[in-house]
This record gives sequence, C-alpha cells and structure tokens, in this order.
Amino acid sequence: MGAFQLLSFGPEGWGSQLASGVWLTIRLAVATLPFGLASGLLLAIMINGRNRMLSRAALVFTTIFRALPELLTIFIIYYGLQFLIQAVVDAAWPGTSIEINGFLAGLFALGVVFASFASEIFVAGLRALPKGQAEAAHALGLSRGTAFVSVIAPQLFRLTLPGVGNLWFVLLKDTALVSVISLSDLMRQTTIAVSNTKQPIFFYGVTCLIYLCLSLVSGAVVALLEVRTNRAYRGAR
Amino acid sequence: MVEVDRASPRAQARQANTSDRAVAVELYGVSKFYGPTQVLHDVSLKVRVGERLVIAGPSGSGKSTMIRCINHLETHEAGKIVVDGVELTDQRERVDQVRREVGMVFQHFNLFPHLTILQNCTLALIKVRKMSRKDADGVAMELLERVRIPEQANKYPGQLSGGQQQRVAIARSLAMKPRIMLFDEPTSALDPEMVKEVLDVMVSLANSGMTMLCVTHEMGFARQVADRVVFMDKGRIVEEADPETFFGNPQHERTKAFLRQLLH
Amino acid sequence: MNLELLQAYGPRMLSGLVTTLELVFISAGIGALMALPLALARNSRSRLLSVPAKCYILFFRGTPLLAQLFLIYYGAGQMRGPLDAFHVWWFFRDAFFCALFAFTINTTAYQAEILRAALGSLPRGQTEAAASLGLGSWVTLVRVLLPQAMILALRPLGNELILSLKASAIASIVTVPELMQATKLAFARSFEFQVYIWAAVIYFLMVEVVRRVWILFERRLTRHLVRAAV
Repeated sequence: MGAFQLLSFGPEGWGSQLASGVWLTIRLAVATLPFGLASGLLLAIMINGRNRMLSRAALVFTTIFRALPELLTIFIIYYGLQFLIQAVVDAAWPGTSIEINGFLAGLFALGVVFASFASEIFVAGLRALPKGQAEAAHALGLSRGTAFVSVIAPQLFRLTLPGVGNLWFVLLKDTALVSVISLSDLMRQTTIAVSNTKQPIFFYGVTCLIYLCLSLVSGAVVALLEVRTNRAYRGAR
Repeated sequence: MVEVDRASPRAQARQANTSDRAVAVELYGVSKFYGPTQVLHDVSLKVRVGERLVIAGPSGSGKSTMIRCINHLETHEAGKIVVDGVELTDQRERVDQVRREVGMVFQHFNLFPHLTILQNCTLALIKVRKMSRKDADGVAMELLERVRIPEQANKYPGQLSGGQQQRVAIARSLAMKPRIMLFDEPTSALDPEMVKEVLDVMVSLANSGMTMLCVTHEMGFARQVADRVVFMDKGRIVEEADPETFFGNPQHERTKAFLRQLLH
Repeated sequence: MNLELLQAYGPRMLSGLVTTLELVFISAGIGALMALPLALARNSRSRLLSVPAKCYILFFRGTPLLAQLFLIYYGAGQMRGPLDAFHVWWFFRDAFFCALFAFTINTTAYQAEILRAALGSLPRGQTEAAASLGLGSWVTLVRVLLPQAMILALRPLGNELILSLKASAIASIVTVPELMQATKLAFARSFEFQVYIWAAVIYFLMVEVVRRVWILFERRLTRHLVRAAV
C-alpha cells in the first residue's frame, strides 16, 4: 500500500483516525492551557502572598509536581482519583462501579504540571514588575481588581510570555503521554494504525511530522504575540 | 532651577493669609515603624485648602513616607490622618474615598508602559469615574494640552523623555479632578535640562489654587511658590516657616546645616 | 507502609532504579559529547553544516520523546533485515538499548540548543578582541568563548539533566525494566495504590539530589566570579 492510501480517509486508510487523534490532542492541550494558567497564577499569588502557611503549601505543591515524571503524575491522578471517587461512591451506593473520564484526568494531570512550572514564571514576573505600578494604580483610585486586570496583568503577560510559550511547547508534547490512560489522542491512534498495518516507520514518522507542525504553528503564534505585546516598547529610550 | 522673582505681584498675592480656610489635610501625632526602626515620630501638620506646602529634608528624613501616608500607600501605626474631612483607617471605603480626592505624582513617574499616553490618562476616568471613552478622551486631551504635550497622546511612555513622562503623570493625576495634589520628589529622577519644564507645570498648577504638598529639593521652586516650608529630619518635623523666614533666618542648627549643604 | 508489599516488590523497584540511573546518566554523558560539535555545526557559516544541524535540533525538540522512542523501537523491528546486515540488530532488538539510543539523540538536541544559545549570547567584543590579538579561530573557541559559554550554559544544562531524569519514565512504555515499569508491574499485581506513592518519593528524592549537587557543582565552577561581581 502506498503512502497516499495509508493516509486516505476511506475504509482502507487511517486518515480519519489520525485526524480525530490530532483533534483530541489539540482539544486537550487547548483545554489544559486556561486551567493551568489560572492555577499557576493563583499559586504564584499564594507564594508571593503574606500568609506564610499558604505560601509554604503552594511552594511544596509546585516543588513536588515539578519533580515528578509527568507519566507518574498522570498515573497518580488517574488511579488516585479513581480510588478516591470509588471510595466515596462505595460509601454512598455500595456495589456501583464508576469509571473516571480519561480526558478530564489527563487535563487535570497535565494542568497540575503546567501550573507548577507556570507559578515559578509568574512569581518571577510579579517580582520583576516595579512596585510603583501598583502604587500609581492605587493612587489613581483603581480598585485592586481593576488594578490587576488593567495595569498588572497586561505587563505580567508580556514579561512571562517567553516562559509561558515554552511551557505550551512542553504541554503539547506531553499530551502524547495521555495515550497510556487510553485516551484516543494522536499517539494512540497512530499506535492502532501501526498494529493493523505493520508500518511503524511510516506512521510514527508521519506523527512526528504532525507534532512538528503543531510546534511550528505554535511558535509562529507565540512570536506574533511577542511582537504585539512589545509594540508599546518599540523605540523606547 | 526656576528663576526666582519674589517681587512679582503674583508672588505677593500668594502670601495671602490662608489661615481662615478649611483644613484640607491634617496629621495628628502620626508615628510609623519599619520593623524596629521608627521612621515617623509623632508628626503633626495642618494644611489648609489652597495652601502650597514644600517639604524639605535630607534623604531618609521621612518626608516621602509622610506624604505616602496621606493617600495610604503607607500605613501609619499611631496618630490620626484626616484628609478632606475623612479620617484614614484601614477601611477600604475610606481609603478609596481619600484616593479619589488626592492625586499623586511619583519620583519615577510610574506611567503604565503598556498603555498609550492618552490611555494612561483615561484609565481611571473610565474604570473609577465610569466615564464614557469619548468623554474621558476629551478630559484627557484638555489636560495634555495644559501640560503642553497633546501631540504625544498616541505614543507610549517609553518613547517620551523623562520630563515629558512626568508632565503626563501630572496630567494623569489631574484628570481625576483631585482637590489635593501630592508630589514625591517629582524632579529628582530627571536630567537637569528637563527639570524646568516640569516645574513650570507645577508652578502654573500652584497659581490655579490647587492644594499642594511637594517633597522636593528644588529650593527655587519653594521660594517662588510655597506658602510654607516644612523641614524634616530623622522622622520629625524640625521647623516650619514661610519661605522668606525659612531661607533668610532659619532657626534650627539642622536646618542651617541642610541649607548650607544645598547651596554648595 | 506495608512491609509485605515492600518485601515483594522492593527489590524489583530497586533494580529498576539502577536501570533508570543507567539510562539517564549514560544518555546525558554521550549527549554532552555530541552536543558541542552539533552546536558548532549549527552556528557554522557553512550551510552544508548549519542546515542539517538546525533540522536535527528542530525535529528532536519539536516532537514528543515518546513518538521518537516508538519510531526507533518499532521502526527497528521493521528494519530488521538491514540492521542484521550491519550487525547491529542485537542492539536494536533490546528495549533498553533502544531507549538509551532515543534518549541520547534527544538530549543531544536539547544540549546543543543550550550551548548554541550560550555561545550566541556572548558579546561580539570577545571574538573581536581575540581576533585582534591574532588568535586563531580554534584557540578563540577553546580558550576564550567556550569557557564563558559553559558558565552560562551550566544552569540550563542542569535543568536538562533533571528533565531527562523525569522523561526516563517513558522507557516503561516499551517495557524497559526501569523504576516506572517496576512500579506499574507492582501495581498491576497488587492493586495497591501506595506503590505509586513510593515511586513518587523516589523520583522526588532523585531530582532533589541532582538539583542540589548541581548547585554545589555550579558554585565550585563559578567561584572565581563571585568576588568580581561585587
């Protein structure tokens, strides 16, 4: 069978399977991003905050999840959640068995890892922002919320964009790991195609190129965002 | 430095007695600590509406800290601060109320670098005063004209000189129509050739009758504009007098030493 | 902690740990040797050298390690004939060697990019000063540029080592008997969730040890810079 046939969308080819895998990979990464960013920001605010207990707890959390292999984190969250929810369900409705949603478990696991690394970037970003920015906002009478949204966040976005962009690349590649908890992402769909066709070099090669394309497109988007956010700083003295 | 012209009619007019006017800012026995070190010792001060106060003193004397307490950028541990009839406490509403009446200009301008000059001036109008963008733009442009840089409205702060940035910062504060303006060493971070353009704006603001508290080392400005000069050292108010007395006949040794140092 | 469980699966996990360390340190070591020539090729003015180097780095940094591992591990099976002909089939039939191979070429790409960035960030004046002294390009590289670049690269290289350590768990997916695989096996047999927690503790400790040792190492190497910086 030729390459064209193997990749066709008909009953002979694996095009539609691969496409659905790509779609799931993209959906998972895109859905993880806001969760990871929001949790990362929250952790950073906790770490920077005045409450010692909260700050310590957030630091311990991020240190642990930065150190564990992503694969292990996925297993721990997938099986751990399963055990936990099963225990609750057993107590309430004995005899019922439940299965946890792989997509949500994957999103949660990847999001926790993303947030742990992102918090480090946000902490550095918040510290790099001159104190005078918040002071000027307060002196103008802006509320804390408005000051954060209108003054702090846009500058934080610019400062942390390179780091966060990098995390996005890592996230995109880490989605391949969720194939181990039977999510039909690109990696898993490829493996199914390989086991049916015995064409590993071709299919894994194509899949590598697809991931590469996703990375390149992401890179272009990040570069574009960087140009946009740096517009205000061009020609600065 | 600004040319001093004490004989001008305007300068004489400003010597008018303000003691019958309402009190704009009152500090009463204010103390503040940074950890174990006390940076303000029992500071009391009364500023009347329309009064122009210059606060001088060596670095670390607590002068910046004192005016930063007035809009609650710093908190005081003891004593009372009343601004425009509102006593400052940690209560959010009171702080907001005071900040709406008090404008502040910082040493390092603190313009928002990601917003254009115009957006810097309209942000608080839109978010706090709930003005429409169009009305806010109108107010802001008027003020940018007053500080003589309307043509820079669509540039970003990083593209302006220090002096221009500081004038924008003044316009930004004025947009909120404050009744009291605080200046925290507004010319200290500027290159010498830019000091005058900022002082000119401050002088014209003073002439418009604004209540002003200025921490500054510009003694020429103090002579020309101030109704009263307050000298602080080591967290205490050491001496306060009208500029003529302050510069001509200082009472305290420390004031004399400070003035001598400044002249050299 | 369950003693019986520890007795049953502890030894296997311990030997898995050894395999993990072998995978990580051998691949990182060989990668370090190959990264420098690759970085130099990438920075080279000859396009014959720089374009392939650029593609290599782009490919291995832009695709998941898991996909690279599968490509090599399952691809080798498909290529058995030619591999046999070159007498390297013994190497590629073994999951451990396949993983070692994949990790090595992967970390080479990352390390090369770190070195390239470090060399690229040195001020131009360094090269110019060396040239004005009449130093040849080789001497300039070895005696002037590399020592400075290595200092800049130290921190990111340490990070890369930690990332490799974490990524090594992926080898379990092609059944290399390393720590993660031993843990999965223990879980499949006992259905005791705590074995995953043991693994987490072990990985955490390994990462912490590497991180701290690396900081000490960094401090030793940059000792001469401390006073000058003040």
